[in-house]
Amino acid sequence: MKRQYSKRQYKDGQRRCCDVVVIGSGPAGMAAAVSAADAGASVCMIEREEKMGGILKQCIHDGFGLIRFEEKLTGPEYSWRYQQMVNERDIDFLNLTFLTKIERSGKGFSLEFVNPAEAVISIEAASVVMAMGCRERTDRQIFLHGQRPAGIFTAGQAQDFINLKGFMPGKRPVILGSGDIGLIMARRFTLEGASVRGVYEIASLPSGLTRNVVQCLEDFDIPLHLNTTVTEVHGRDRVEAVTVCRVDENRHPLQDTARRIDCDCLILSVGLIPENDILIPLGIELDPVTRGPVVDQFMHSSCPGIFSCGNALHVSDLVDYVSESGHAAGKAAAEWTKSDLVGSRKLRLSAGGIIQYIVPQSITEAEHEDSALPVYFRPSVPADRAEFLLKQSGRILYKKRFSYLKPSEMQRLEIDFARIDPEGEMPVVELTALGMEADDE
Amino acid sequence: MIDKNTRKLKAVRKKLKKAGFPDVTSVESNGAVLLTGNLDSWNDKVIAGYTAAGKGFRGIINDINVRGCDEPEMSMPLIKDELLAGRSLDAVIVGGGVIGCAIARELSRQNISIAVLEKESDLAMQASGRNDGMIHPGFAASPGTKKAVYNIRGNRMYTKLADELDFDLKRPGSILLFRSAWMKLMIPIFKLRCRNNRVDGRYRAMSAAEVKRIEPNVTETQHGGFLLPSAGIVSPYRVTMALAENAVLNGAEIFLNTAVTSLSLTSQQITEVHTNRGTLNCRVLINAAGVWSDKLAEMAGDRFFSIHGRKGMEAILDRSCGPLQNHIMGMPSLLGNKNSHSKGGGLVPCVEGNILLGPTAEEVPEREDYSTDSHTFSELLGQLGLNNELKASQIINYYSGIRAANWEEDFIIEPSQRVSNLIHAAAIQSPGLASAPAIAEDVAAFAVHALKAGGMKVQPRADFNPRRQAIPCLRELGSEQRARLIKRDPAYGEIMCRCEEVSKGEIRDALRSKVPATTVDGVKRRVRAGAGRCHGGFCLPRVIKIMAEELGVPLTDVTKKGGESRILRCETKEGAFDEAAV
Repeated sequence: MKRQYSKRQYKDGQRRCCDVVVIGSGPAGMAAAVSAADAGASVCMIEREEKMGGILKQCIHDGFGLIRFEEKLTGPEYSWRYQQMVNERDIDFLNLTFLTKIERSGKGFSLEFVNPAEAVISIEAASVVMAMGCRERTDRQIFLHGQRPAGIFTAGQAQDFINLKGFMPGKRPVILGSGDIGLIMARRFTLEGASVRGVYEIASLPSGLTRNVVQCLEDFDIPLHLNTTVTEVHGRDRVEAVTVCRVDENRHPLQDTARRIDCDCLILSVGLIPENDILIPLGIELDPVTRGPVVDQFMHSSCPGIFSCGNALHVSDLVDYVSESGHAAGKAAAEWTKSDLVGSRKLRLSAGGIIQYIVPQSITEAEHEDSALPVYFRPSVPADRAEFLLKQSGRILYKKRFSYLKPSEMQRLEIDFARIDPEGEMPVVELTALGMEADDE
Repeated sequence: MIDKNTRKLKAVRKKLKKAGFPDVTSVESNGAVLLTGNLDSWNDKVIAGYTAAGKGFRGIINDINVRGCDEPEMSMPLIKDELLAGRSLDAVIVGGGVIGCAIARELSRQNISIAVLEKESDLAMQASGRNDGMIHPGFAASPGTKKAVYNIRGNRMYTKLADELDFDLKRPGSILLFRSAWMKLMIPIFKLRCRNNRVDGRYRAMSAAEVKRIEPNVTETQHGGFLLPSAGIVSPYRVTMALAENAVLNGAEIFLNTAVTSLSLTSQQITEVHTNRGTLNCRVLINAAGVWSDKLAEMAGDRFFSIHGRKGMEAILDRSCGPLQNHIMGMPSLLGNKNSHSKGGGLVPCVEGNILLGPTAEEVPEREDYSTDSHTFSELLGQLGLNNELKASQIINYYSGIRAANWEEDFIIEPSQRVSNLIHAAAIQSPGLASAPAIAEDVAAFAVHALKAGGMKVQPRADFNPRRQAIPCLRELGSEQRARLIKRDPAYGEIMCRCEEVSKGEIRDALRSKVPATTVDGVKRRVRAGAGRCHGGFCLPRVIKIMAEELGVPLTDVTKKGGESRILRCETKEGAFDEAAV
């Protein structure tokens, strides 16, 4: 196993100090480390695995980087580009290193890690960028019942086994959930000669991107069963079959529609959860919808000095936006070490209408060198046409119309936050579905 | 004597008739009542069984056939070989649960040869690995029952045992919450029960305000409670492993995937034990076969009880919930129907820091079907309300177990009255875990007595070592101690399971311990890799790779829990990748 560890040499037991520590070296962490270094900070990037790249390492399909690089890249290719950027800069990279503790220490943070080469490492940092990505929901979190045989995998696990290890978890999978990884794995299984028994989705719409439904299912004649879910797993030792059921509008299974599907494994693509458990002791505020920290336009959390980005902040559909939030967080984390924004006024955004969530959730009064900063949101329901408004004290500060909005597809826009009056009322963002008769702009 | 038995049988028949079972036949057999006949539902069979109990017989053998309901046979290991053929052992223990392993450890104090036969791929795979880990205070059992006696004795023994065997034991105490104000009238009865059972600790009643002070998140519906400070918690499968490992250290042998298929007897003495791995001879046989203990008794021609499965479901909440509760809490319904034989579930703070919810109780014909269902799960969720801060979304896992209940609802711990070299440790359900050390002491004494009676010279081992060292849990060590271990062995610094912070070194230790893990679940139970919130989503591929290397098998041979439970089917078109080359 290749071990890289730290480029810098430290004497044993010496406490390390740096301006910015980035936790995680996936597409968000690498971007954050690069932008923090470019902003003049001394940066240390930590990775628990052997190599940089995070989940991109196993995403051998293409479609990455269309926005960021204006090219269609595979996951490893996208990752490689960022690795080059990291390597070109003076970024201290520690691999096989695991964060065990994070505590406040003076104005900054004291972090503790373990790794095989140096045992226990302490780092003092002025700011921390959390870029730890997300984990997959399991069969237990969707309260699946029946027996508990071998052969139940999350889509990411199956992807790791096939793409990184060269092993098939099964030859006749049933796929539950139509998240992007599930759709991609349906195609991947098929390309490996497996016979996908069907993709089952409890919702009335697929939860992955439309392009994946077309390219991964329709192009391979894999049936997608909407409003249908798996209710029971059968098999004592290994998965032998599952029971699938149609559901009513409240997602309750309709027992008279139950049928048994023979299969040899069950692949789950039923949602992703940002990983922020290590932040709980710091008392950080989490958004109950995104399950990531509540942040301002600088990706700054409620805990001064802790920044969040990528899928740890909120689950994105496109890696390009993951890196974009990483860039923003890294830059702001570097600037934070030089300035003092502790006393700044924070204004909470109030989200209304058919907004499921919006990131950032709050606005900090600040000198803006960029006139417009990215905002990400998802609608709570599909809408053919909708209007997005940012209002404060009855004044409309920003207005944009969207067409074909879906909860499964995240929207991005840029807003000039300098327009918001820091002394004013709570700014309101509203997304309203428009009828067909509304004027087209 | 005959008259007395006839009178007792008459009483049983009268009771059965009155309960609406005139067609159930009852006769005396081996000092017990044998029930036969046909009924339409499992529930009726259960009611008939309990109805016949308590009339002075040794036991109830409930052979009533339920129309349209098959009781599945015992599942058998796949393996067939002659590993044990020709072996001769002094003591053979059937069943590798906490009872069997505690007996093995107790017997390993003597200079005799011991084998534990376990049909599953690991120890503690059935009831011993599927309970809430509670070391009961000894309050619930009726005074004078074996349950009460062994519970109290066992509870006391755990403190020393935890020290000797290096497993986690906590005594958070349990609070029996009062559902309504009138339950305060029961306080003198509770205290009397404690005195009669000789419950340890300063048990006492508490007002609602007092409960609220020590459990700030407790439900508003409580009307005070009764505190039992001696209630403890352990990890039940880790206790089982610890007992077995110490027994092995002292010379005992453990045979997994080994099931007894029949027994040969000569003049009321067991001579040969037939298994799927060959026939062996033994001087004394100990029945610790859990849900199948009645079948083993039957093989020996000493059937005087029958087991009926009572299934219970439990759920585990995320470790982050740990700080939300300090004590074990339950709110039993004292007005529950009289056919309910469970103390009722509750919330148990586990030694690992999670909170455990449950168990439920349901009579089932199957003794090994551990499936779960949404109906029971909903019932289980009802108990979450005892703590205001707990939510269903914090549940990371759930499972079920099956209690080995008999119709008298008491343990059977005695030498066989028919077979001179057979000892029963049967019908052990809750508080079996708490009672295990005490049961083992008595059963070992019975076994030694039987061996001596058979002409064997049994002497204590001079070199018995009561201590066993656990695999280090790096997460719980201080930074300095952790650093020292990693410097000695860098594998302890390579984290594999991110949720539970388990290192490669700990996983390797589990695969090399005295009773080594051979399955993915075995690794998980020993060192918690994959026991956290992501359920092995990230670590499973890494864990099975270490397993394949350590076990010297291809990746495709690694199983989740033995048998046919292989994790992977086959290689991809291009075949397995050599990761070192990438």
